[in-house]
Amino acid sequence: MVSKKIRKILYRLAESLLAVGIGFLGGAFLMLLYGYDPITAYRALLTGAFGDISGIYETLSFATPLILTALTFGICVRSGLFNIGAEGQMYMGAIGAVMIGGAMSLPAGIHAATATLFAMLLGGLWSIPVSILKITRNVHEVVSTIMLNWISFWLVTYLITYQLTDPMRAERAVPAQETARYTVIGASLTTIFPVVIAFTLLIYFIVWRTTLGYELRLVGYNPEAARYAGISIPRAVVMSFLLGGLAAGLAGASQVLGRPPSWTVYATLGNLVNLGFEGIGVSLIGRNHPIGIIFAAIFYGGILHGGRFMEFEAGVASELVRAINGIIIVALAIPELLSMVSGVVKRRRGKEVEAG
Amino acid sequence: MSGEVLVEARGVVKSFPGVWEHLILDHINFDVRAGEVHALLGENGAGKTVLANILSGFYTLTSGQIYVRGKPVHFKSPFDAIKNGIGMVHQEFTLVPSLTVVENIALMLRKHNPLSYPLKEVRERTLELSERYGLKIEPDRLVEHLSLGEKQRVEILKVLYWEPDVLILDEPTSVLTIDEARELFKILRRMAEEGKGVVFITHRIEEIMAVADRVTVLRLGRKMGTFKVSEVGKDELLRLMIGEMEPVRYERGRSVEWGRVVLEVRDLHVLSDDGREAVKGVSFEIHEGEILGIAGVSGNGQRELAEAITGLRKASRGRIRLMGLDITNKPAGEIAKLGVRHIPEERRRMGVVEPMCLAENMIIREYKEKTFSTAGVIKSKVITEHSKRLVERFKILTPDIWDTEVRILSGGNIQRLILARELWKGPKLLVAFHPTYGLDLKAVTHTHQHFMELRQKGAAILLISEDLEEIFLLSDRIAVMLDGRIVGTLGAREATPEKIGHMMAGVGAS
Repeated sequence: MVSKKIRKILYRLAESLLAVGIGFLGGAFLMLLYGYDPITAYRALLTGAFGDISGIYETLSFATPLILTALTFGICVRSGLFNIGAEGQMYMGAIGAVMIGGAMSLPAGIHAATATLFAMLLGGLWSIPVSILKITRNVHEVVSTIMLNWISFWLVTYLITYQLTDPMRAERAVPAQETARYTVIGASLTTIFPVVIAFTLLIYFIVWRTTLGYELRLVGYNPEAARYAGISIPRAVVMSFLLGGLAAGLAGASQVLGRPPSWTVYATLGNLVNLGFEGIGVSLIGRNHPIGIIFAAIFYGGILHGGRFMEFEAGVASELVRAINGIIIVALAIPELLSMVSGVVKRRRGKEVEAG
Repeated sequence: MSGEVLVEARGVVKSFPGVWEHLILDHINFDVRAGEVHALLGENGAGKTVLANILSGFYTLTSGQIYVRGKPVHFKSPFDAIKNGIGMVHQEFTLVPSLTVVENIALMLRKHNPLSYPLKEVRERTLELSERYGLKIEPDRLVEHLSLGEKQRVEILKVLYWEPDVLILDEPTSVLTIDEARELFKILRRMAEEGKGVVFITHRIEEIMAVADRVTVLRLGRKMGTFKVSEVGKDELLRLMIGEMEPVRYERGRSVEWGRVVLEVRDLHVLSDDGREAVKGVSFEIHEGEILGIAGVSGNGQRELAEAITGLRKASRGRIRLMGLDITNKPAGEIAKLGVRHIPEERRRMGVVEPMCLAENMIIREYKEKTFSTAGVIKSKVITEHSKRLVERFKILTPDIWDTEVRILSGGNIQRLILARELWKGPKLLVAFHPTYGLDLKAVTHTHQHFMELRQKGAAILLISEDLEEIFLLSDRIAVMLDGRIVGTLGAREATPEKIGHMMAGVGAS
């Protein structure tokens, strides 16, 4: 019986590898079009990202926040929600980490832990309006999360500019104090990476091994059956957004408490912007599954980090590097996107058949 | 009555291969003449709506031929039918609630300036049509503020706008009050007087007597005959509609003493999804060891009744008691915990979670109980054992327990899964809705045996079914639901198919 599961995983892996191949071919085509040598470029990308230990550290460091923002999206997909609020919740998490980690003094150890938990809490709290609006006013989460992303953006910008400014450098918030920082493993990778992996495994456990996760998935698959089973749908919605918010909050914390050299947030939010949205792509690549997401984020991180080497070593223009990255990511996201769409279509059709 | 034949169907066959094995329509001949109201009578599943959808171009036919004024036609879409003068008003409304009446009608136009609808013109013509046929409407009101009767008039106007020669109405009275229905009959007669042909679909014989000139009876896809209404009796129509039937009954074994009252329903009122009162003051009780069968054509409030009892829908008035305990409007989970189980009407949609595996489907009711989870962590080993036992006992055919989505199981096995899950614990009350609908004989017998076993153990069963044979076979008492009310209750011994059939069709007391 295990073999069937393995076969399924292998099938998905093959699908993804095929997508990677297609993505790389597309990128190669683009490079040939503009007169670059794709072989040199791709070699630069791969050796840059995975060729030596510092490259790998850097890749994992890139992957860290993406794992979490992808989880935000992935958890909610399991409950049938389309949550694109990771971006704003991550900002809240980052500013929460600054408040405790940068603006307060606490003993070492406790400091980092408190700052991390507070960041997660703020991220989680930022998801509450989404649930309330959905449950009481039936506001679709896409609309409310986009609104809250912007509210968060400007709120955090304000806080950095006027309340939590670094007295030495006005363009950024006070950096996390030594006591609040995670230990550097190498390059810009810190011990927050294993924390993030542990958190991801915990989410996996919750979704697949607990009654809460069972409820979330049941609501996502079939709300009618969930009602029939006596599950409170509002509760499942709140829990799903909340878990997502905690993950996004941790993503914010990871960029402040766990990422040298800045250990803080810039007033432009330049070191945060888009990490939340990129998480959606990562989640799709990882089939919205916690374990898949870890690998997808590492791959994505590798592309981001290694992409720079295409520029340095193969001389590919940086705009083109981004376009190539985009092609690879889109190609990879397609299999899951298709299965999500066909799932919706099937459900619609199913209704028609029963109605007819 | 002897007007020109406007539309004729000859030897029409419709099948849905892969979904249904039998023919949905089996060589049907049917015609509509100018100046007549021709009723299509039959139970649910008789094929009335399918025939109407073929005549109006919504479905294609498998074989046979449609003629319009004697010329063979091939409809590829409803617009082909409209061009040939055939329009249909569907049972389900197809209106945009946030638009006005006129805007809704204008949406039907095909040729117009793409940037603006000729609303003024449409408004004038709508008013003219409404005047001509006595279809009272207020053209500028938003559709969402209209009553069901008014919405239906808009639907009819939408079709009349095309000046059809033939108008088909699918169960138009199902959403109407008695007064609104009378009003509609006047309008249908007026259309017939104008020389249009009207096809009127219903399962209520009284309505045919009130409005139709001719009637064609369908049963399970076969035509039972076409008659002049003036020359046929109600009893004759009823017999043709539901068929001759010898009631078979189970040997009841040792007679079960009816024990205490398990379920007591008092003056229950429940609203349907569209806010209409679907259950209008229903009262009954079921005892330990008793099966109460509720007969009736579906759509008469059965679904809302079952959902109110199981906590899936709020009651607007009245009381429901379980073993003396008031459970009115309690959450579904709480009611289930008290020992109420439910075999839902829509198996695949409500009864199972198709993308989950069998084991996960098995614990929908009890996943929170200590047996299956501790401190919120699911005990997969226990669940595996539990599922294996039930798979064996209820003879569920499944490739495995954890790896296969139940989506791929056959209908019969899905129903076995639901049966197993709902019955293994020995419920106090079972609400069973169409429990054997669409199953093969073996699965039907299997289900019935489980019901009788449950009854023997002293459970109360509320059996809601359109299948009269099943009702007669199992029930200790039979109640008939019509238009949200229980119109009569008979003991199994005194009930005959005729008596029940009369009540179901709303043909006066007999």
